[in-house]
Amino acid sequence: MSLISKLDAIAETRKAILPPGVDPFNVVIDEIYSPTEASIEGQRVLLAGSNNYLGLTFDRQCIEAAQTSLEQEGTGTTGSRMANGTFAGHSNLEKELARFYDCSNAIVFSTGFVTNLGVISTLAGPGDVIVLDADSHASIYDACRMSGAEMIRFRHNNMEDLDKKLRRLGSRTDNTLIIVEGIYSMLGDCAPLQEIAALKRKYGAWLMVDEAHSMGVLGDNGRGMAEAAGVEQDVDFIVGTFSKSLGSIGGYCVSNHPELDLVRYLSRSYVFTASPSPSIIASVREALRVIQAKPELRTKLWVNAERLYQGLKALGFELGPDLSPIVAIRVPSKEKTLLAWKTLLDQGIYVNLVFPPAAPAGMSLLRCSISAAHSPEQINFILETFSGIKHLMT
Amino acid sequence: MTTTQYETIFQQVVALLQQHAPQPGPIQEDTELIKDLGFDSLKVMEMLHDVEDAFDITYPLNALSDLRTVKDFTMQIQAIIETS
Repeated sequence: MSLISKLDAIAETRKAILPPGVDPFNVVIDEIYSPTEASIEGQRVLLAGSNNYLGLTFDRQCIEAAQTSLEQEGTGTTGSRMANGTFAGHSNLEKELARFYDCSNAIVFSTGFVTNLGVISTLAGPGDVIVLDADSHASIYDACRMSGAEMIRFRHNNMEDLDKKLRRLGSRTDNTLIIVEGIYSMLGDCAPLQEIAALKRKYGAWLMVDEAHSMGVLGDNGRGMAEAAGVEQDVDFIVGTFSKSLGSIGGYCVSNHPELDLVRYLSRSYVFTASPSPSIIASVREALRVIQAKPELRTKLWVNAERLYQGLKALGFELGPDLSPIVAIRVPSKEKTLLAWKTLLDQGIYVNLVFPPAAPAGMSLLRCSISAAHSPEQINFILETFSGIKHLMT
Repeated sequence: MTTTQYETIFQQVVALLQQHAPQPGPIQEDTELIKDLGFDSLKVMEMLHDVEDAFDITYPLNALSDLRTVKDFTMQIQAIIETS
C-alpha cells in the first residue's frame, strides 16, 4: 500500500454514500446576510445549523470593535503568544474572562480545539489517568492521546459506570482527571454535573468541564453548566470556545488553581501557534460584554429552543433526550438522512448532517442549532418544512 | 499467569465476542477482531463495556492499539485482572 492509497477507501465510501454533486460536508455559503440567513447555491436559505447561539456574529458593537482594532492594530499578530504574539488585547481578555468566571487565572488560545489539546495534554501525562465521557468531542480524545495518560471511557452520562471506573482506580484517583462537557454537541443533552461533582469529591479526583456549547447558554450569568448546576467550586478547570456564543474564533481555560498560568510555558499548542488576530480578540471582548449586559438574549434563545424542540416533538420526530439549543433528529438510515438533508436545503433550510462515528451509538442525525436571532416566523417555517418531509425520514 | 486462568478468560471472551461480532463465525486464538469478526470502532466500544462488566475490570483505551487477535485480547484482560 502506498502512502496515499489508504485514502482509496474513503473515496469509495464517499462515492457509495453521496450522489454526484451533493456533499453535505463541504457546503459553500456564497453570501451571508445575517446570523440566520445566507445564500447557498444561489438560493436564499435559513440557517438552522450554525452554533450561533446568541446571534452575535452580526452584533453592531462587536463588528465596530473589530473594525477599530483592524485600523489600529493591523490584520494579525504574525507570531505565537510566547514569542511575539501577545498583544494587550490578549492579556486584557484573559483578565476579563477570569473576572467573568470569578476565577484567578485564564489563558486564551487560538481555537477551541487547540485549547483542549494544549490544556489536557499539559495537565495530564504518563502515570496519570483521564476518565472521559464516551461522547466527548474529538479534540478531547486527541488531547488525551497526546498526553500519554491512561485513558478510561465511561458510558455517556452514566453515573453508575463513572462511579465504577473511579472505584476501580483506588488511590490513583489522586492523579485522575475527569473530563465532561456541559452540553454535548451531537444530541444536545446535558451532563448531570451535580452527580459528577459529587463523585469527584467522593474519590478525590480532578474535574474539567468543556463548556463549548453551554457558555452563554446556561447559568444566570451565562457561565455555563457548572454555574447552572451550582458546582463551580468543584470544577478545577473550565474550557470553552469563542466560536459559538461569542460569535468569533478562539478558546480559553479558566481555573482557580494558580498553576494554570504555568500551562502556557509547556503547552505546545500555545507556544507554537500564532495567536488570535487583534480584531478577533476585540470582537470577543465586546461579545463578552454583550452577553453580560443582555441576559435577555439567553431568555430569547431558550424560548426559541423550546418552540423548535416541542414543535418537532409534537410532529412525532425522535429527538435528543434534553431540551437545549441543539436539537438533533434521529433518522433511521444514512440514505434517508441524506435525502432529507438535501430536500430541506432545496426548500430553503440549512441544517447539519451527522453520520456515525461523529454521531454517537451508530446514529444518523439531522442536527439543528437554534439562535436567539431566529424569529418565531423562521422557527415556524422550520417546523412546517420538517412536517412536509417527514415521510422521507421514517 | 496460569494456563487455567487463561483458558477460563478465553472461553468468556469468545462468548462475549460472539454476542457482539458483526460477522459471526468460528473464533480461535488467532481470529482477528477487525479483519475476521468485522468489528469497527463503535462496535469495539460496545463490546468493551460488556467485557469490563463481565470481569469487573477497566480496559484502558490506550491498550486498543496493541489489540489484533483474540489471544491478544485475552492476555490483555488477564494482565489487567492480575494487576487490579
